[in-house]
Amino acid sequence: MLTKFETKSNRVKGLSFHSKRPWILASLHSGVIQLWDYRMGTLIDRFDEHDGPVRGVHFHKSQPLFVSGGDDYKIKVWNYKLHRCLFTLLGHLDYIRTVQFHHENPWIVSASDDQTIRIWNWQSRTCISVLTGHNHYVMCASFHPKEDLVVSASLDQTVRVWDIGALKKKTVSPADDILRLGQMNTDFFGGVDAVVKYVLEGHDRGVNWASFHPTLPLIVSGADDRQVKIWRMNDTKAWEVDTLRGHTNNVSCVLFHARQDIIVSNSEDKSIRVWDATKRTGLQAFRREHDRLWILSAHPEMNLLAAGHDNGMIVFKLERERPAFSVSGDSVFYVKDRFLRVYEYSIQKDTQLIPIRRPGSNSLNQGPRTLSYSPTENAVLVCSDMDGGSYELHILPKDSYGRGDTVQEAKRGSGGSALFVARNRFAVLESSNQVSVKNLKNEIVKKSILPLAVDAIFYAGTGNLLCRAEDRVVLFDLQQKIVHGDLQTSFVRYVVWSQDMESVALLSKHSIVIADKKLAHCCTLRETIRVKSGAWDDNGVFIYTTLTHIKYCLPNGDSGIIKTLDVPMYITKIFGSTIFCLDRDGKIRPIIVNSTEYVFKLSLLRKRYDKVMSMIRNSELCGQAMIAYLQQKGFPQVALYFVKDERTRFNLALESGNIEKALESAKKIDEKDHWYRLGVEALRQGNAGIVEYAYQRTKNFERLSFHYLITGNLDKLSKMVKIAEVKNDVMGQFHDSLYIGDVGERVKILENAGHLPLAYLTASVHGLHDTAERLAAELGENVPSLPKGRRASLLIPPSPVLCAGDWPLLMISKGIFEGGLDETVKDAHEDYQEAADADWGEALDIGEVENLQNGDISMVLEEENAEEENEEGGWDLEDLDLPPETPKTAATARSSVLIPPTPGMPVSQIWVQKSSLAAEHAAAGNFDTAMRLLSRQLGIRNFSPLKSLFQDIHMGSHTYLRAFSSAPVISVAVERGWSESASPNVRGPPALVFNFSQLEKKLKAGYKATTAGKFSEALGHFLAILHTIPLIVVETRREVDEVKELIIIVKEYVLGLQMELKRRELKDNPVRQQELAAYFTHCILQTPHLRLALLNAMTVCYKAQNLSTAATFARRLLETNPTAENQEKLARQILHVAEKNMKDAIDLNYDFRNPFVVCGATYVPIYRGQRDVTCPYCSSHFVPSQQGQLCTVCNLAEVGSDASGLLCSPTQIR
Amino acid sequence: MAAGGPDPLFGLRNSFYLGAYQAAINNSDIPNLSADDAVERDSIVYRSYIALGSYQLVINEIDSSAATPLQAVKLLALYLSNPANKEMTISSLQEWLGDPAIGNNPILRLIAGIIFMHEQDYNEALKHTNAGGTMDLHALNVQIFLKMHRSDYAEKQLRIMQQIDEDHTLTQLANAWLNLAVGGSKIQEAYLIFQDFSEKYQMTSLILNGKAVCCMHMGTFDEAESLLLEALNKDAKDPETLANLVVCSLHLGKPSSRYLSQLTLSHPDHILVKRAKTAEESFDRAVQTNA
Repeated sequence: MLTKFETKSNRVKGLSFHSKRPWILASLHSGVIQLWDYRMGTLIDRFDEHDGPVRGVHFHKSQPLFVSGGDDYKIKVWNYKLHRCLFTLLGHLDYIRTVQFHHENPWIVSASDDQTIRIWNWQSRTCISVLTGHNHYVMCASFHPKEDLVVSASLDQTVRVWDIGALKKKTVSPADDILRLGQMNTDFFGGVDAVVKYVLEGHDRGVNWASFHPTLPLIVSGADDRQVKIWRMNDTKAWEVDTLRGHTNNVSCVLFHARQDIIVSNSEDKSIRVWDATKRTGLQAFRREHDRLWILSAHPEMNLLAAGHDNGMIVFKLERERPAFSVSGDSVFYVKDRFLRVYEYSIQKDTQLIPIRRPGSNSLNQGPRTLSYSPTENAVLVCSDMDGGSYELHILPKDSYGRGDTVQEAKRGSGGSALFVARNRFAVLESSNQVSVKNLKNEIVKKSILPLAVDAIFYAGTGNLLCRAEDRVVLFDLQQKIVHGDLQTSFVRYVVWSQDMESVALLSKHSIVIADKKLAHCCTLRETIRVKSGAWDDNGVFIYTTLTHIKYCLPNGDSGIIKTLDVPMYITKIFGSTIFCLDRDGKIRPIIVNSTEYVFKLSLLRKRYDKVMSMIRNSELCGQAMIAYLQQKGFPQVALYFVKDERTRFNLALESGNIEKALESAKKIDEKDHWYRLGVEALRQGNAGIVEYAYQRTKNFERLSFHYLITGNLDKLSKMVKIAEVKNDVMGQFHDSLYIGDVGERVKILENAGHLPLAYLTASVHGLHDTAERLAAELGENVPSLPKGRRASLLIPPSPVLCAGDWPLLMISKGIFEGGLDETVKDAHEDYQEAADADWGEALDIGEVENLQNGDISMVLEEENAEEENEEGGWDLEDLDLPPETPKTAATARSSVLIPPTPGMPVSQIWVQKSSLAAEHAAAGNFDTAMRLLSRQLGIRNFSPLKSLFQDIHMGSHTYLRAFSSAPVISVAVERGWSESASPNVRGPPALVFNFSQLEKKLKAGYKATTAGKFSEALGHFLAILHTIPLIVVETRREVDEVKELIIIVKEYVLGLQMELKRRELKDNPVRQQELAAYFTHCILQTPHLRLALLNAMTVCYKAQNLSTAATFARRLLETNPTAENQEKLARQILHVAEKNMKDAIDLNYDFRNPFVVCGATYVPIYRGQRDVTCPYCSSHFVPSQQGQLCTVCNLAEVGSDASGLLCSPTQIR
Repeated sequence: MAAGGPDPLFGLRNSFYLGAYQAAINNSDIPNLSADDAVERDSIVYRSYIALGSYQLVINEIDSSAATPLQAVKLLALYLSNPANKEMTISSLQEWLGDPAIGNNPILRLIAGIIFMHEQDYNEALKHTNAGGTMDLHALNVQIFLKMHRSDYAEKQLRIMQQIDEDHTLTQLANAWLNLAVGGSKIQEAYLIFQDFSEKYQMTSLILNGKAVCCMHMGTFDEAESLLLEALNKDAKDPETLANLVVCSLHLGKPSSRYLSQLTLSHPDHILVKRAKTAEESFDRAVQTNA
């Protein structure tokens, strides 16, 4: 039993789940009805109008209503939205036991101790039927969920099924209903609209409860005889099917589970029992210490049950609904029903893999709880609570998942939890302080004692375990047996590692702790609702689900809601903005969310301002929450860009010190207060212009004057005098003139203001004698006396250092937001600048190293003296080094038992033995035999061009493995054609550094160089091909033919190019030039090249006035349908000219009508029928005099020597 | 080793085995070591220095009063630092091995094994190492047998190691060596072992090289190249990285001469350099015989 919620209260007699909201009603013995939110665990409302115990309560399916019935004989219908009772139905004459709404009609059925059942219409608020027949208290009555039936249970020891079909017919139209009002009484005792269909007798004592099966024609009842009985009915009769015995006291309530094939009952014996409805056996009993149980209720849609007892109620679930799953790379493995399935995210494909053991039906909640998957071994560990904790190890079939008749038997074992700790090792929690590590054969490899008592273990990277104890988790290293980290947390239920294994999220019931890989605490999140699951996204944001929401958690602990959920979901993996969830039915559901908010916050957090900017520009990120967030996090300048409201904008601008923006806003708002604040900020920043402007706008003349004084703006100051005069502001005028130092003005002001003595004093002190005298005359007697002995001087304000303008500000680069957002110009290059610099530095270093080496290499080479090192020389190793006969004395003790094995055969030697391919001999380092083979097969005599090839192929045949420190490295032979299924210890042929595809690439390069007219370069390519081919090995016959073809192709090019190069050397021999050009056209070339050769020959001949020959080339050129227009045009022109004058100026040794080949050495035509000799390798033709010479085309073989032919594939030998 | 409390030298040893020599040296300051552990610690540190090529430092720091294992380590440093004088080193090694009081010291025997391996006198090496006793010795045995191309014997040694501690780093490493040597499907297992290491511990050029070698044997030279370049980033002078880069570049048809000259310059004794030299000579010789 999984308790989800519990309350403490007076005895609970009635319970009802709300069908949509997480609410439950509990009616108490004290007369109160409570409305609880069982998810949040809060009391939403209480309804206290009944007098005495309330035994029955029921929510309406769709309306905001519920009904209750109590010992005050009253049925009350309530509206929970209005928090009040709507009306009361009176009629019962004794306690009311149960009340229930009909699922579609506006009816309520009630059962009462007055031995009747009544059906009420809550719309007309009348009783529409009274069902009589029981002759004792009716303990319960309920409608059938679909049919027109009512079942009731009574202390008269019977269960009755009532047919209310007639009642239904009568109320087809509402008019009828009203009509019926009058008739009701006449029907009162006739009871024609509700008749007893069956009376079920069988219980020996009073029956407390009876209820219908939701879909089948079954009834279950519980009675004071401590028995639960199952009844079946058909159209005509009903009979007892079976009795479930086990309760030790009165059975108070019993019902069928809606989703599983079980019956749940509770009793005054303080237990809840679960029964298998098919096998009719007890599955489980949950006992409570002190509380007798009174009522059961099932949620109409979800897998929830509630039970009321003496001291409150509990909301519970019988079985866990979280599907066991394990994410690995691109797929998630999970259990649905009795099968292990896999879902591949990238292709969104769901596959059923293997059946897994059906949970033993003798108890509940034994299904798979966790999964652990090892991708390399394709093995799955399924853990369940079966037999007090056990696991099954399944090795998945490799390729065909399909119908598994050959599914391997799973290996089983017991243990608290089991999980893979390495690809072929898993750890099993044997007891609270011992873990054993097992291999895939389910054999214990080792045991480890844990440092503390642990109740579960979780994955924590290869070789590590996360151990959960009561109030903490520790990171335990299985190999070293030490604790790497320790973290105090509340009881951890699930552990989710980030992909890089750098961070871990520990999920508890109501909190999430994020820690790093050493379990150092990063942040803690608290939730009021249960946390269900979570996963890390690619950016390091933790996305999790609660019962009701998908939420995110940033690395700094900030969290927020992404999406609301209707039903609980278990996140498995996150790809970008798609969250893959498993629901409770084991279905994978991709949920696409808007990740903007958290990505934005993350970017801010990581200071990725460029990203922040692009997000601001591109997306709609608005709302007070975001602004508040930005402000709170110290980014008012960013928030500025989200705000439309000018006042907020103004405040943000001030906060971020962006005076221009503030000014903009202030202009739009144009309120005194805002101007004032702008002025204050501008003053703080020393922005005189704006200060002035702000003062002007606020008409704060005194400040303005002082501002002008400070900034030394005397012109404006004198204007201020005038303004003050106009405004009749004497004091201001006086101040201003004081600031300017205008004595005359001051005197005038004082005089005008009637302060004649002061005016006089001012005038006389400053030496304005005329005025002083005039004033003295006016004052007459009252001329004040001037202080003696003092010298007066005019007080002139010092001129400011800087006149007017703003204060100089330090040049600071504008924030990325200001610059970037306003002008949409990014200047994010600064960061990269540095990086680039760093690279330069490194590049320089490399250069130095290189220089150094180039200098030194020759030295090293010189130092090398020819030392014989025959480590790999295959033949030589055969003479064994026999161990010295005299072992050292001290070592005898050890060596006496030791018979040192004779050294085995190096792989290279095996290669040689098996092979008659020259390349493989060369790879093995047996150059001698390799050469002999080549000489025999291809008549090769000149090996010097092959030197580097031999060396490369030899060097590429072994890799080097540093094994034990300071000991000599192991060289390992690289074999060709590796495949996963190759059996070990069977040596394959050596991997060769040259392969056919490389040659093809080279051929293309050669073609390209030819087209471009880079003949020596092209010749180099073709010769390289020709030189490499003897060391090529291919796998198939077809490829052998291709290689042979390649030789011919390349040979032709080599010959042609050699002739062409020769021709270019012979500048002063036009005859020979023409001949060579002509022969060139008879090499087998690619069409474009042939065209070029023809064009070339044509031009040469034409220039030499050999028009007839030129014409033949022109004709041949036209026959190739040249694509280039100018070629065609030229050919036609020449043809045209030649036709007029068909003759040759010079005779050439060239008869195009007579087929010929060109001698590779002397470049003369060898016409058909003439004797020639060939190169055994490249098959170039030569005049007989060349017999025994080195082939000038391939530069390898001896012309005319015997050879067995190219051997380049093992297939040729077999 | 299988029982007992946490091993204070675990991390140090692991770093050493996996080629994180500098890390081993840096993290050698472990408090509360027993005398034996301290000597072992020092020997690992000095061997790390040797692996890094700082022979002289080792020779200078270990004085004549140091414990036998350290003296043995010093011998190794002497041997490797001064090839001209190796006869003397070997003779003193033989002398010590003959001394019944210290001749049985596992580290001395280990060093003897290493030195005789360098001498390519595998029988002599085995005489001292074959009896085993420590994981190091067993691992060295595996390597000696592999050098002798006797993977069957190597496998037997590996079985012994697996019985002692299957998850020991050296057991895993030795398993990988053997897998590589026997080839075929085992290469993938070797790759997985190196893969495990790379997930579990910090990447070292040894692990990267191991992975790269596996890749080359499996024919994925592109992946091998990227691994090796990563290794080269970590340590531009690592001889195996350079040697394997030469091989890998050859197979990819890329120029390899730079790596080869770098290797020749920094490690003229490396087996690849020797091979290249030998190849050149034997080519010339073969040309003459075939002329």
